[in-house]
Amino acid sequence: MKHETIEKNTGLMGVLIALVISVAGFAEIVPLMFQAQTTQPMEGIEPFPALQLAGRDVYVKEGCYNCHSQMVRPFVSESLRYGPPVEAGETVYGRPFQWGSKRTGPDLARVGGRYTDEWHLAHLINPRDLVPESNMPGYPWLLDKYVDGELVERKMRTLKWLGHPYSDAQIDEAASVTEGASEMEALIAYLQYLGLANNGRRQQ
Amino acid sequence: MMTDGWSWFVIILVTLNILAMVWLLLATSKSKGADEADTTGHTWDGIKEYNNPLPRWWLWLFVITIVFSVVYLYLYPGMGSFKGSLDWTQSSQYEQEVALNRAKQDAYFAEFADLSISELAENDKAMATGRRLFLNNCATCHGSNGQGAKGFPNLRDDDWLYGDSPQTIVQTLNNGRAGLMPDLGLPNSSVAILARYVQGLAGQEVTEHVQQKGKSLFAVCTSCHGPEGKGNQALGAPNLTDNIWLYGSTAQEIEVILANGVQGNMPSFNTLLSQNEIKLLAAYVVSLGGG
Ligand code: HEC
Ligand code: HEC
Ligand code: HEC
Repeated sequence: MKHETIEKNTGLMGVLIALVISVAGFAEIVPLMFQAQTTQPMEGIEPFPALQLAGRDVYVKEGCYNCHSQMVRPFVSESLRYGPPVEAGETVYGRPFQWGSKRTGPDLARVGGRYTDEWHLAHLINPRDLVPESNMPGYPWLLDKYVDGELVERKMRTLKWLGHPYSDAQIDEAASVTEGASEMEALIAYLQYLGLANNGRRQQ
Repeated sequence: MMTDGWSWFVIILVTLNILAMVWLLLATSKSKGADEADTTGHTWDGIKEYNNPLPRWWLWLFVITIVFSVVYLYLYPGMGSFKGSLDWTQSSQYEQEVALNRAKQDAYFAEFADLSISELAENDKAMATGRRLFLNNCATCHGSNGQGAKGFPNLRDDDWLYGDSPQTIVQTLNNGRAGLMPDLGLPNSSVAILARYVQGLAGQEVTEHVQQKGKSLFAVCTSCHGPEGKGNQALGAPNLTDNIWLYGSTAQEIEVILANGVQGNMPSFNTLLSQNEIKLLAAYVVSLGGG
Protein backbone atom coordinates (compact mmCIF):
# COMPACT_ATOMS: atom_id res chain seq x y z
CA MET A 1 0.00 0.00 0.00
CA LYS A 2 1.36 3.36 -0.87
CA HIS A 3 2.04 5.94 1.73
CA GLU A 4 -0.04 8.33 -0.23
CA THR A 5 -3.12 6.15 -0.19
CA ILE A 6 -3.16 6.15 3.61
CA GLU A 7 -2.18 9.76 4.01
CA LYS A 8 -4.92 11.01 1.74
CA ASN A 9 -7.67 8.83 3.19
CA THR A 10 -8.51 9.93 6.72
CA GLY A 11 -11.02 7.15 7.36
CA LEU A 12 -8.57 4.42 6.41
CA MET A 13 -5.80 6.05 8.44
CA GLY A 14 -8.10 6.20 11.48
CA VAL A 15 -8.94 2.53 11.23
CA LEU A 16 -5.29 1.54 10.84
CA ILE A 17 -4.19 3.72 13.78
CA ALA A 18 -6.91 2.19 15.97
CA LEU A 19 -5.75 -1.27 14.94
CA VAL A 20 -2.11 -0.56 15.72
CA ILE A 21 -2.73 0.90 19.14
CA SER A 22 -5.15 -1.82 20.17
CA VAL A 23 -2.92 -4.79 19.38
CA ALA A 24 -1.26 -4.66 22.81
CA GLY A 25 -4.65 -4.35 24.46
CA PHE A 26 -5.98 -7.36 22.59
CA ALA A 27 -2.95 -9.41 23.58
CA GLU A 28 -2.56 -8.23 27.18
CA ILE A 29 -5.96 -7.14 28.47
CA VAL A 30 -8.67 -9.05 26.63
CA PRO A 31 -7.50 -12.56 27.65
CA LEU A 32 -7.48 -11.45 31.32
CA MET A 33 -11.20 -10.79 31.14
CA PHE A 34 -11.74 -14.48 30.52
CA GLN A 35 -9.27 -16.05 32.94
CA ALA A 36 -10.32 -17.80 36.13
CA GLN A 37 -7.32 -16.34 37.95
CA THR A 38 -8.64 -12.83 37.52
CA THR A 39 -12.39 -13.30 37.36
CA GLN A 40 -13.00 -15.98 40.00
CA PRO A 41 -12.89 -15.17 43.73
CA MET A 42 -9.96 -16.56 45.68
CA GLU A 43 -10.76 -19.02 48.43
CA GLY A 44 -12.56 -17.33 51.31
CA ILE A 45 -13.41 -14.18 49.37
CA GLU A 46 -17.06 -13.20 49.55
CA PRO A 47 -19.02 -10.20 48.37
CA PHE A 48 -19.28 -7.36 50.90
CA PRO A 49 -22.02 -7.86 53.50
CA ALA A 50 -24.69 -5.13 53.58
CA LEU A 51 -23.12 -2.78 56.14
CA GLN A 52 -19.64 -3.13 54.67
CA LEU A 53 -21.06 -2.48 51.22
CA ALA A 54 -22.61 0.74 52.48
CA GLY A 55 -19.24 1.60 54.05
CA ARG A 56 -17.48 0.99 50.78
CA ASP A 57 -19.64 3.62 49.15
CA VAL A 58 -18.81 6.08 51.93
CA TYR A 59 -15.14 5.34 51.28
CA VAL A 60 -15.55 6.09 47.60
CA LYS A 61 -17.79 9.11 48.18
CA GLU A 62 -15.35 10.72 50.60
CA GLY A 63 -12.48 10.13 48.20
CA CYS A 64 -10.30 8.13 50.58
CA TYR A 65 -8.75 6.57 47.46
CA ASN A 66 -7.12 9.90 46.70
CA CYS A 67 -4.63 9.17 49.44
CA HIS A 68 -4.93 5.43 50.04
CA SER A 69 -4.29 2.51 47.72
CA GLN A 70 -5.61 -0.98 48.34
CA MET A 71 -2.96 -3.05 46.67
CA VAL A 72 0.01 -4.49 48.50
CA ARG A 73 2.63 -4.97 45.80
CA PRO A 74 4.86 -8.06 45.75
CA PHE A 75 7.87 -6.54 47.53
CA VAL A 76 9.33 -7.58 50.85
CA SER A 77 9.30 -4.04 52.18
CA GLU A 78 5.57 -3.85 51.53
CA SER A 79 4.65 -7.18 53.02
CA LEU A 80 6.59 -6.39 56.18
CA ARG A 81 4.35 -3.39 56.76
CA TYR A 82 1.05 -4.55 55.29
CA GLY A 83 0.96 -8.35 54.86
CA PRO A 84 1.10 -10.61 51.81
CA PRO A 85 0.71 -9.11 48.32
CA VAL A 86 -2.79 -8.62 47.00
CA GLU A 87 -3.90 -11.06 44.31
CA ALA A 88 -6.42 -10.45 41.56
CA GLY A 89 -8.88 -13.03 42.89
CA GLU A 90 -9.25 -11.01 46.10
CA THR A 91 -10.75 -7.99 44.43
CA VAL A 92 -13.27 -9.57 42.06
CA TYR A 93 -16.10 -8.04 44.12
CA GLY A 94 -14.71 -4.54 44.00
CA ARG A 95 -16.84 -2.52 41.60
CA PRO A 96 -14.72 -0.64 40.89
CA PHE A 97 -11.67 -2.10 42.63
CA GLN A 98 -9.67 0.33 44.78
CA TRP A 99 -6.12 -0.73 43.83
CA GLY A 100 -4.65 2.64 43.05
CA SER A 101 -1.10 3.86 43.26
CA LYS A 102 -1.53 7.11 45.21
CA ARG A 103 -0.15 6.69 48.68
CA THR A 104 -0.21 9.85 50.71
CA GLY A 105 -1.31 7.54 53.51
CA PRO A 106 -0.60 3.83 53.97
CA ASP A 107 -2.07 1.04 51.87
CA LEU A 108 -5.37 -0.16 53.33
CA ALA A 109 -5.82 -3.50 51.54
CA ARG A 110 -5.09 -5.41 54.76
CA VAL A 111 -6.03 -2.92 57.44
CA GLY A 112 -8.91 -5.10 58.72
CA GLY A 113 -8.28 -6.21 62.32
CA ARG A 114 -5.08 -4.24 62.56
CA TYR A 115 -6.64 -1.51 64.65
CA THR A 116 -9.61 -1.49 66.96
CA ASP A 117 -13.00 0.08 66.22
CA GLU A 118 -12.29 2.68 68.91
CA TRP A 119 -9.06 3.60 67.17
CA HIS A 120 -10.77 4.04 63.81
CA LEU A 121 -13.52 6.14 65.37
CA ALA A 122 -11.08 8.50 67.09
CA HIS A 123 -8.84 8.57 64.02
CA LEU A 124 -11.63 9.37 61.57
CA ILE A 125 -12.99 12.15 63.78
CA ASN A 126 -9.59 13.79 64.05
CA PRO A 127 -6.47 11.87 62.97
CA ARG A 128 -4.20 14.28 64.87
CA ASP A 129 -5.67 13.19 68.21
CA LEU A 130 -3.84 9.90 67.69
CA VAL A 131 -1.14 10.67 65.15
CA PRO A 132 -0.02 14.26 65.72
CA GLU A 133 2.06 14.19 62.51
CA SER A 134 -0.88 13.14 60.30
CA ASN A 135 -2.10 15.27 57.40
CA MET A 136 -5.21 13.19 56.85
CA PRO A 137 -8.41 15.24 57.11
CA GLY A 138 -10.98 14.49 59.81
CA TYR A 139 -14.43 13.23 58.87
CA PRO A 140 -16.56 14.08 61.92
CA TRP A 141 -19.73 14.62 59.89
CA LEU A 142 -19.95 10.91 59.12
CA LEU A 143 -21.36 10.52 62.64
CA ASP A 144 -24.45 12.55 61.74
CA LYS A 145 -25.21 10.98 58.38
CA TYR A 146 -27.12 7.76 58.09
CA VAL A 147 -27.12 4.84 55.71
CA ASP A 148 -30.16 4.48 53.47
CA GLY A 149 -31.11 0.82 53.96
CA GLU A 150 -33.47 0.71 50.98
CA LEU A 151 -30.67 1.87 48.73
CA VAL A 152 -28.30 -0.79 50.04
CA GLU A 153 -30.89 -3.43 49.26
CA ARG A 154 -31.33 -2.11 45.71
CA LYS A 155 -27.55 -2.04 45.26
CA MET A 156 -27.27 -5.66 46.37
CA ARG A 157 -29.96 -6.67 43.89
CA THR A 158 -28.07 -4.97 41.10
CA LEU A 159 -24.79 -6.58 42.15
CA LYS A 160 -26.49 -9.95 42.27
CA TRP A 161 -27.68 -9.36 38.74
CA LEU A 162 -24.04 -8.64 37.84
CA GLY A 163 -23.04 -11.99 39.31
CA HIS A 164 -22.22 -11.41 42.99
CA PRO A 165 -23.45 -14.50 44.85
CA TYR A 166 -25.73 -12.81 47.40
CA SER A 167 -28.39 -15.05 48.90
CA ASP A 168 -32.01 -13.90 48.94
CA ALA A 169 -31.91 -13.88 52.74
CA GLN A 170 -28.92 -11.51 52.71
CA ILE A 171 -30.71 -9.14 50.36
CA ASP A 172 -33.99 -9.29 52.24
CA GLU A 173 -32.40 -8.37 55.53
CA ALA A 174 -30.05 -5.76 54.06
CA ALA A 175 -32.36 -2.85 54.78
CA SER A 176 -33.00 -3.86 58.38
CA VAL A 177 -29.34 -4.64 59.04
CA THR A 178 -28.14 -1.26 57.84
CA GLU A 179 -31.07 1.01 58.75
CA GLY A 180 -30.08 3.50 61.42
CA ALA A 181 -26.36 2.85 61.11
CA SER A 182 -24.32 6.01 60.76
CA GLU A 183 -21.98 6.37 57.81
CA MET A 184 -19.16 6.28 60.36
CA GLU A 185 -20.20 2.81 61.58
CA ALA A 186 -20.53 1.58 58.01
CA LEU A 187 -17.11 2.93 57.05
CA ILE A 188 -15.43 1.37 60.09
CA ALA A 189 -17.15 -1.96 59.38
CA TYR A 190 -15.79 -1.74 55.84
CA LEU A 191 -12.25 -0.94 56.99
CA GLN A 192 -12.32 -3.79 59.49
CA TYR A 193 -13.38 -6.17 56.72
CA LEU A 194 -10.57 -5.26 54.33
CA GLY A 195 -8.18 -8.09 53.59
CA LEU A 196 -9.48 -10.19 56.46
CA ALA A 197 -9.64 -13.33 54.35
CA ASN A 198 -5.96 -13.05 53.52
CA ASN A 199 -4.31 -10.48 55.75
CA GLY A 200 -1.37 -12.59 56.81
CA ARG A 201 -2.45 -12.76 60.43
CA ARG A 202 -4.07 -16.03 59.56
CA GLN A 203 -1.25 -17.25 57.37
CA GLN A 204 1.97 -16.72 59.24
CA MET B 1 -3.75 -20.63 33.85
CA MET B 2 -4.73 -19.53 30.38
CA THR B 3 -6.84 -21.91 28.31
CA ASP B 4 -5.31 -23.22 25.07
CA GLY B 5 -7.65 -21.09 22.99
CA TRP B 6 -6.52 -17.87 24.61
CA SER B 7 -2.93 -18.98 24.63
CA TRP B 8 -2.99 -19.42 20.85
CA PHE B 9 -4.86 -16.17 20.48
CA VAL B 10 -2.01 -14.35 22.22
CA ILE B 11 0.75 -16.28 20.42
CA ILE B 12 -0.73 -15.68 16.99
CA LEU B 13 -1.44 -12.03 17.65
CA VAL B 14 2.05 -11.33 19.00
CA THR B 15 3.77 -13.26 16.19
CA LEU B 16 1.73 -11.54 13.50
CA ASN B 17 2.47 -8.22 15.09
CA ILE B 18 6.21 -8.81 15.10
CA LEU B 19 6.16 -10.06 11.52
CA ALA B 20 4.17 -7.01 10.50
CA MET B 21 6.81 -4.80 12.09
CA VAL B 22 9.57 -6.59 10.20
CA TRP B 23 7.66 -6.21 6.96
CA LEU B 24 7.03 -2.54 7.62
CA LEU B 25 10.72 -2.05 8.28
CA LEU B 26 11.79 -3.77 5.11
CA ALA B 27 9.15 -2.11 3.00
CA THR B 28 10.05 1.40 4.08
CA SER B 29 13.80 1.12 4.51
CA LYS B 30 14.70 0.73 0.85
CA SER B 31 16.72 3.76 0.09
CA LYS B 32 15.66 5.49 -3.06
CA GLY B 33 18.47 8.00 -2.81
CA ALA B 34 17.90 11.58 -1.85
CA ASP B 35 17.73 12.97 -5.35
CA GLU B 36 15.62 16.00 -5.93
CA ALA B 37 13.09 14.20 -8.10
CA ASP B 38 11.90 12.01 -5.21
CA THR B 39 9.41 14.25 -3.50
CA THR B 40 6.02 13.48 -2.05
CA GLY B 41 4.44 15.82 -4.50
CA HIS B 42 3.34 18.21 -1.74
CA THR B 43 4.22 21.82 -2.42
CA TRP B 44 3.54 24.85 -0.30
CA ASP B 45 4.46 28.22 -1.69
CA GLY B 46 6.94 26.52 -3.93
CA ILE B 47 8.54 24.50 -1.13
CA LYS B 48 8.54 20.77 -1.85
CA GLU B 49 8.47 17.90 0.63
CA TYR B 50 11.19 15.26 0.19
CA ASN B 51 10.32 11.59 0.56
CA ASN B 52 13.50 10.43 2.28
CA PRO B 53 13.96 7.09 4.04
CA LEU B 54 14.26 6.92 7.86
CA PRO B 55 17.63 8.00 9.22
CA ARG B 56 19.92 5.02 9.77
CA TRP B 57 20.22 5.34 13.54
CA TRP B 58 16.46 5.42 13.84
CA LEU B 59 16.17 2.35 11.69
CA TRP B 60 18.65 0.50 13.89
CA LEU B 61 16.74 1.38 17.02
CA PHE B 62 13.73 -0.16 15.37
CA VAL B 63 15.68 -3.34 14.54
CA ILE B 64 17.00 -3.53 18.11
CA THR B 65 13.49 -3.37 19.61
CA ILE B 66 12.39 -6.22 17.39
CA VAL B 67 15.39 -8.35 18.33
CA PHE B 68 14.82 -7.46 21.99
CA SER B 69 11.19 -8.59 21.83
CA VAL B 70 12.15 -11.95 20.35
CA VAL B 71 14.84 -12.57 22.98
CA TYR B 72 12.52 -11.37 25.76
CA LEU B 73 9.67 -13.60 24.64
CA TYR B 74 12.06 -16.54 24.59
CA LEU B 75 13.39 -15.93 28.13
CA TYR B 76 10.29 -14.66 29.93
CA PRO B 77 6.59 -15.54 29.95
CA GLY B 78 4.70 -13.62 27.29
CA MET B 79 3.74 -16.04 24.54
CA GLY B 80 0.43 -17.33 25.93
CA SER B 81 1.01 -20.22 28.30
CA PHE B 82 4.69 -20.59 27.34
CA LYS B 83 6.60 -20.10 30.59
CA GLY B 84 9.84 -18.80 29.09
CA SER B 85 13.18 -20.56 29.31
CA LEU B 86 14.12 -18.90 32.62
CA ASP B 87 10.95 -20.18 34.33
CA TRP B 88 10.59 -16.75 35.94
CA THR B 89 7.41 -15.85 37.77
CA GLN B 90 6.53 -12.81 39.81
CA SER B 91 5.52 -14.91 42.79
CA SER B 92 8.67 -17.03 42.77
CA GLN B 93 10.79 -13.88 42.67
CA TYR B 94 8.78 -12.50 45.59
CA GLU B 95 9.20 -15.73 47.56
CA GLN B 96 12.94 -15.72 46.94
CA GLU B 97 13.17 -12.19 48.24
CA VAL B 98 11.14 -13.07 51.32
CA ALA B 99 13.41 -16.03 52.03
CA LEU B 100 16.49 -13.88 51.52
CA ASN B 101 15.12 -11.26 53.86
CA ARG B 102 14.29 -13.88 56.48
CA ALA B 103 17.83 -15.22 56.32
CA LYS B 104 19.23 -11.69 56.72
CA GLN B 105 16.95 -11.05 59.68
CA ASP B 106 17.89 -14.32 61.35
CA ALA B 107 21.56 -13.47 60.97
CA TYR B 108 20.94 -10.00 62.35
CA PHE B 109 18.90 -11.15 65.34
CA ALA B 110 21.39 -13.91 66.14
CA GLU B 111 23.60 -11.15 67.49
CA PHE B 112 20.98 -10.35 70.13
CA ALA B 113 19.96 -13.92 70.96
CA ASP B 114 21.94 -14.11 74.20
CA LEU B 115 20.98 -10.69 75.50
CA SER B 116 18.15 -10.29 77.98
CA ILE B 117 15.42 -7.73 77.37
CA SER B 118 16.93 -5.31 79.90
CA GLU B 119 20.34 -5.65 78.24
CA LEU B 120 18.81 -5.08 74.83
CA ALA B 121 17.23 -1.87 76.11
CA GLU B 122 20.76 -0.54 76.66
CA ASN B 123 22.01 -1.66 73.24
CA ASP B 124 22.00 1.25 70.77
CA LYS B 125 22.03 -0.88 67.65
CA ALA B 126 19.12 -3.01 68.86
CA MET B 127 17.18 0.08 69.90
CA ALA B 128 17.62 1.71 66.49
CA THR B 129 15.85 -1.33 65.03
CA GLY B 130 13.37 -1.33 67.88
CA ARG B 131 12.44 2.25 67.14
CA ARG B 132 11.77 1.45 63.47
CA LEU B 133 9.60 -1.50 64.44
CA PHE B 134 7.76 0.69 66.92
CA LEU B 135 7.09 3.38 64.33
CA ASN B 136 5.75 0.82 61.88
CA ASN B 137 3.56 -1.16 64.24
CA CYS B 138 2.77 0.77 67.39
CA ALA B 139 3.12 4.51 66.79
CA THR B 140 -0.33 4.94 65.26
CA CYS B 141 -1.85 4.09 68.66
CA HIS B 142 0.84 4.87 71.20
CA GLY B 143 2.30 7.91 69.41
CA SER B 144 5.63 8.17 67.63
CA ASN B 145 7.44 8.75 70.92
CA GLY B 146 5.27 6.42 72.97
CA GLN B 147 3.45 9.41 74.45
CA GLY B 148 0.03 7.81 73.93
CA ALA B 149 -3.33 9.48 73.32
CA LYS B 150 -6.75 9.42 74.92
CA GLY B 151 -7.63 5.74 75.33
CA PHE B 152 -4.15 4.61 74.27
CA PRO B 153 -1.70 4.40 77.15
CA ASN B 154 1.43 6.51 77.43
CA LEU B 155 4.37 4.10 77.54
CA ARG B 156 6.86 6.64 78.89
CA ASP B 157 5.27 7.37 82.24
CA ASP B 158 5.45 5.41 85.49
CA ASP B 159 1.81 4.36 85.38
CA TRP B 160 1.34 0.83 84.07
CA LEU B 161 -1.98 -0.91 83.54
CA TYR B 162 -0.36 -4.34 83.50
CA GLY B 163 3.10 -3.76 84.88
CA ASP B 164 6.53 -2.85 83.63
CA SER B 165 8.34 -6.19 83.88
CA PRO B 166 9.78 -7.41 80.55
CA GLN B 167 7.76 -10.65 80.75
CA THR B 168 4.51 -8.72 81.20
CA ILE B 169 5.29 -6.54 78.21
CA VAL B 170 6.13 -9.57 76.05
CA GLN B 171 2.85 -11.11 77.13
CA THR B 172 1.00 -7.92 76.22
CA LEU B 173 2.54 -7.94 72.74
CA ASN B 174 1.94 -11.63 72.12
CA ASN B 175 -1.62 -11.93 73.34
CA GLY B 176 -2.97 -8.41 73.25
CA ARG B 177 -4.95 -6.90 76.12
CA ALA B 178 -8.58 -6.02 76.64
CA GLY B 179 -9.02 -4.26 79.97
CA LEU B 180 -12.74 -4.07 80.65
CA MET B 181 -14.34 -1.48 82.86
CA PRO B 182 -17.94 -2.70 82.91
CA ASP B 183 -21.06 -0.57 82.77
CA LEU B 184 -22.13 -0.95 86.40
CA GLY B 185 -25.60 0.46 85.86
CA LEU B 186 -25.02 3.26 88.36
CA PRO B 187 -27.73 5.92 88.76
CA ASN B 188 -26.79 9.37 87.48
CA SER B 189 -26.51 10.83 90.94
CA SER B 190 -23.94 8.23 91.98
CA VAL B 191 -22.02 8.75 88.75
CA ALA B 192 -21.68 12.45 89.45
CA ILE B 193 -20.48 11.91 93.00
CA LEU B 194 -18.12 9.06 92.16
CA ALA B 195 -16.52 10.99 89.32
CA ARG B 196 -15.60 13.75 91.76
CA TYR B 197 -14.59 11.25 94.43
CA VAL B 198 -12.18 9.65 91.95
CA GLN B 199 -10.74 13.09 91.22
CA GLY B 200 -10.28 13.40 94.97
CA LEU B 201 -8.36 10.10 95.06
CA ALA B 202 -5.97 11.63 92.56
CA GLY B 203 -5.40 14.59 94.79
CA GLN B 204 -7.80 17.18 93.42
CA GLU B 205 -9.90 19.36 95.79
CA VAL B 206 -13.34 17.89 96.49
CA THR B 207 -16.13 18.75 98.92
CA GLU B 208 -16.75 16.99 102.24
CA HIS B 209 -20.09 15.71 100.89
CA VAL B 210 -18.36 13.98 97.95
CA GLN B 211 -15.76 12.50 100.30
CA GLN B 212 -18.36 10.88 102.55
CA LYS B 213 -20.91 9.75 99.96
CA GLY B 214 -18.16 8.70 97.56
CA LYS B 215 -16.36 6.51 100.05
CA SER B 216 -19.38 4.23 100.50
CA LEU B 217 -20.30 4.24 96.81
CA PHE B 218 -16.72 3.30 95.94
CA ALA B 219 -17.22 -0.10 97.61
CA VAL B 220 -18.38 -1.62 94.29
CA CYS B 221 -15.19 -0.43 92.65
CA THR B 222 -12.74 -1.93 95.09
CA SER B 223 -12.89 -5.44 93.67
CA CYS B 224 -10.98 -4.17 90.66
CA HIS B 225 -9.40 -0.87 91.62
CA GLY B 226 -8.45 -2.03 95.10
CA PRO B 227 -9.64 -0.67 98.46
CA GLU B 228 -7.53 2.47 98.12
CA GLY B 229 -8.08 2.83 94.37
CA LYS B 230 -4.48 1.90 93.66
CA GLY B 231 -5.53 -0.40 90.83
CA ASN B 232 -4.88 -4.03 90.03
CA GLN B 233 -2.35 -4.96 87.36
CA ALA B 234 -3.69 -8.49 87.01
CA LEU B 235 -6.94 -7.01 85.65
CA GLY B 236 -5.48 -3.97 83.95
CA ALA B 237 -7.52 -1.79 86.32
CA PRO B 238 -5.69 1.53 86.50
CA ASN B 239 -4.34 3.16 89.59
CA LEU B 240 -6.81 6.00 90.22
CA THR B 241 -4.64 7.83 92.73
CA ASP B 242 -1.69 8.87 90.56
CA ASN B 243 -3.36 11.67 88.58
CA ILE B 244 -2.34 9.98 85.30
CA TRP B 245 -5.39 9.46 83.15
CA LEU B 246 -6.06 7.18 80.23
CA TYR B 247 -9.41 8.73 79.40
CA GLY B 248 -9.06 12.25 80.73
CA SER B 249 -9.09 14.00 84.11
CA THR B 250 -12.17 16.20 83.93
CA ALA B 251 -15.33 15.26 85.81
CA GLN B 252 -17.22 15.05 82.51
CA GLU B 253 -14.75 12.62 80.99
CA ILE B 254 -14.80 10.43 84.08
CA GLU B 255 -18.60 10.50 84.19
CA VAL B 256 -18.73 9.12 80.63
CA ILE B 257 -16.56 6.17 81.74
CA LEU B 258 -18.63 5.47 84.84
CA ALA B 259 -21.96 5.75 83.05
CA ASN B 260 -21.09 3.59 80.04
CA GLY B 261 -18.09 1.48 80.97
CA VAL B 262 -15.17 1.28 78.59
CA GLN B 263 -12.87 -1.31 77.08
CA GLY B 264 -9.33 -0.71 75.89
CA ASN B 265 -8.13 -3.10 73.21
CA MET B 266 -4.53 -3.77 72.44
CA PRO B 267 -4.31 -6.10 69.41
CA SER B 268 -2.14 -9.22 69.61
CA PHE B 269 1.00 -9.23 67.51
CA ASN B 270 2.13 -12.84 67.70
CA THR B 271 0.98 -13.65 64.17
CA LEU B 272 2.18 -10.38 62.68
CA LEU B 273 5.68 -10.19 64.15
CA SER B 274 8.35 -12.77 64.84
CA GLN B 275 9.41 -13.57 68.42
CA ASN B 276 12.74 -11.85 67.68
CA GLU B 277 10.91 -8.68 66.78
CA ILE B 278 8.62 -8.91 69.78
CA LYS B 279 11.59 -9.24 72.09
CA LEU B 280 13.21 -6.19 70.56
CA LEU B 281 9.98 -4.21 70.83
CA ALA B 282 9.56 -5.16 74.48
CA ALA B 283 13.10 -3.90 75.04
CA TYR B 284 12.23 -0.70 73.22
CA VAL B 285 9.22 -0.16 75.50
CA VAL B 286 11.50 -0.72 78.51
CA SER B 287 14.00 1.76 77.03
CA LEU B 288 11.30 4.44 76.86
CA GLY B 289 11.96 4.76 80.52
CA GLY B 290 8.64 4.26 82.30
CA GLY B 291 9.64 3.05 85.77
C1 HEC C 1 -5.04 13.90 52.41
C2 HEC C 1 -4.80 12.51 52.29
C3 HEC C 1 -5.72 11.53 53.04
C4 HEC C 1 -7.06 11.32 52.86
C5 HEC C 1 -8.02 12.05 51.91
C6 HEC C 1 -7.41 10.22 53.71
N1 HEC C 1 -6.31 9.78 54.40
FE1 HEC C 1 -6.22 8.22 55.68
N2 HEC C 1 -4.27 8.60 56.06
C7 HEC C 1 -3.54 9.61 55.49
C8 HEC C 1 -2.21 9.65 56.09
C9 HEC C 1 -1.11 10.63 55.76
C10 HEC C 1 -2.17 8.60 57.03
C11 HEC C 1 -0.99 8.22 57.98
C12 HEC C 1 -1.07 9.05 59.25
C13 HEC C 1 -2.25 8.64 60.11
O1 HEC C 1 -2.29 7.49 60.58
O2 HEC C 1 -3.14 9.47 60.32
C14 HEC C 1 -3.48 7.96 56.98
C15 HEC C 1 -3.83 6.85 57.74
C16 HEC C 1 -5.02 6.17 57.62
C17 HEC C 1 -5.33 4.92 58.28
C18 HEC C 1 -4.36 4.09 59.14
C19 HEC C 1 -3.65 3.12 58.22
C20 HEC C 1 -2.48 2.40 58.80
O3 HEC C 1 -2.21 1.28 58.36
O4 HEC C 1 -1.81 2.97 59.69
C21 HEC C 1 -6.61 4.59 57.95
C22 HEC C 1 -7.38 3.35 58.39
C23 HEC C 1 -7.11 5.65 57.11
N3 HEC C 1 -6.13 6.58 56.93
C24 HEC C 1 -8.39 5.68 56.58
C25 HEC C 1 -8.87 6.71 55.76
C26 HEC C 1 -10.23 6.81 55.31
C27 HEC C 1 -11.33 5.80 55.62
C28 HEC C 1 -10.32 7.95 54.55
C29 HEC C 1 -11.56 8.53 53.89
C30 HEC C 1 -12.70 8.78 54.78
C31 HEC C 1 -9.00 8.55 54.52
N4 HEC C 1 -8.15 7.78 55.28
C32 HEC C 1 -8.68 9.70 53.81
C33 HEC C 1 -3.95 10.46 54.49
C34 HEC C 1 -5.25 10.57 54.02
C1 HEC D 1 -4.87 -0.46 67.86
C2 HEC D 1 -4.06 0.36 68.72
C3 HEC D 1 -2.82 -0.24 69.35
C4 HEC D 1 -1.68 -0.70 68.71
C5 HEC D 1 -1.43 -0.78 67.20
C6 HEC D 1 -0.77 -1.05 69.74
N1 HEC D 1 -1.32 -0.85 70.96
FE1 HEC D 1 -0.42 -1.21 72.73
N2 HEC D 1 -2.17 -0.76 73.69
C7 HEC D 1 -3.31 -0.27 73.09
C8 HEC D 1 -4.34 -0.09 74.09
C9 HEC D 1 -5.74 0.46 73.83
C10 HEC D 1 -3.77 -0.51 75.32
C11 HEC D 1 -4.48 -0.54 76.67
C12 HEC D 1 -5.11 -1.89 76.81
C13 HEC D 1 -6.09 -1.96 77.91
O1 HEC D 1 -6.68 -0.93 78.27
O2 HEC D 1 -6.30 -3.08 78.41
C14 HEC D 1 -2.40 -0.91 75.03
C15 HEC D 1 -1.51 -1.38 75.99
C16 HEC D 1 -0.17 -1.59 75.76
C17 HEC D 1 0.81 -1.91 76.76
C18 HEC D 1 0.53 -2.07 78.25
C19 HEC D 1 0.67 -0.72 78.91
C20 HEC D 1 0.53 -0.76 80.39
O3 HEC D 1 0.33 0.34 80.94
O4 HEC D 1 0.60 -1.83 81.00
C21 HEC D 1 2.03 -2.02 76.15
C22 HEC D 1 3.37 -2.30 76.78
C23 HEC D 1 1.80 -1.77 74.73
N3 HEC D 1 0.46 -1.52 74.54
C24 HEC D 1 2.79 -1.79 73.77
C25 HEC D 1 2.53 -1.79 72.41
C26 HEC D 1 3.52 -2.04 71.41
C27 HEC D 1 5.00 -2.29 71.66
C28 HEC D 1 2.87 -2.00 70.22
C29 HEC D 1 3.45 -2.27 68.84
C30 HEC D 1 3.88 -3.63 68.61
C31 HEC D 1 1.48 -1.68 70.48
N4 HEC D 1 1.31 -1.57 71.81
C32 HEC D 1 0.52 -1.52 69.49
C33 HEC D 1 -3.47 0.01 71.75
C34 HEC D 1 -2.58 -0.35 70.77
C1 HEC E 1 -14.56 -5.31 86.73
C2 HEC E 1 -13.48 -4.48 87.21
C3 HEC E 1 -13.80 -3.00 87.43
C4 HEC E 1 -14.72 -2.42 88.23
C5 HEC E 1 -15.76 -3.11 89.12
C6 HEC E 1 -14.53 -1.00 88.13
N1 HEC E 1 -13.53 -0.72 87.24
FE1 HEC E 1 -12.90 1.12 86.68
N2 HEC E 1 -11.69 0.28 85.31
C7 HEC E 1 -11.46 -1.06 85.17
C8 HEC E 1 -10.53 -1.26 84.10
C9 HEC E 1 -9.99 -2.62 83.60
C10 HEC E 1 -10.22 0.02 83.58
C11 HEC E 1 -9.30 0.33 82.42
C12 HEC E 1 -10.09 0.29 81.14
C13 HEC E 1 -9.24 0.31 79.93
O1 HEC E 1 -8.12 -0.18 79.99
O2 HEC E 1 -9.72 0.81 78.92
C14 HEC E 1 -10.97 0.96 84.38
C15 HEC E 1 -10.92 2.35 84.21
C16 HEC E 1 -11.49 3.26 85.08
C17 HEC E 1 -11.32 4.68 84.99
C18 HEC E 1 -10.52 5.44 83.92
C19 HEC E 1 -9.13 5.70 84.44
C20 HEC E 1 -8.29 6.57 83.55
O3 HEC E 1 -7.07 6.52 83.72
O4 HEC E 1 -8.82 7.29 82.69
C21 HEC E 1 -11.99 5.22 86.03
C22 HEC E 1 -12.12 6.68 86.39
C23 HEC E 1 -12.58 4.12 86.75
N3 HEC E 1 -12.26 2.93 86.15
C24 HEC E 1 -13.36 4.27 87.90
C25 HEC E 1 -14.09 3.25 88.45
C26 HEC E 1 -15.06 3.44 89.46
C27 HEC E 1 -15.37 4.78 90.15
C28 HEC E 1 -15.62 2.23 89.70
C29 HEC E 1 -16.74 1.89 90.68
C30 HEC E 1 -17.97 2.52 90.39
C31 HEC E 1 -14.98 1.28 88.86
N4 HEC E 1 -14.06 1.93 88.09
C32 HEC E 1 -15.27 -0.07 88.83
C33 HEC E 1 -12.02 -2.09 85.90
C34 HEC E 1 -13.06 -1.92 86.79
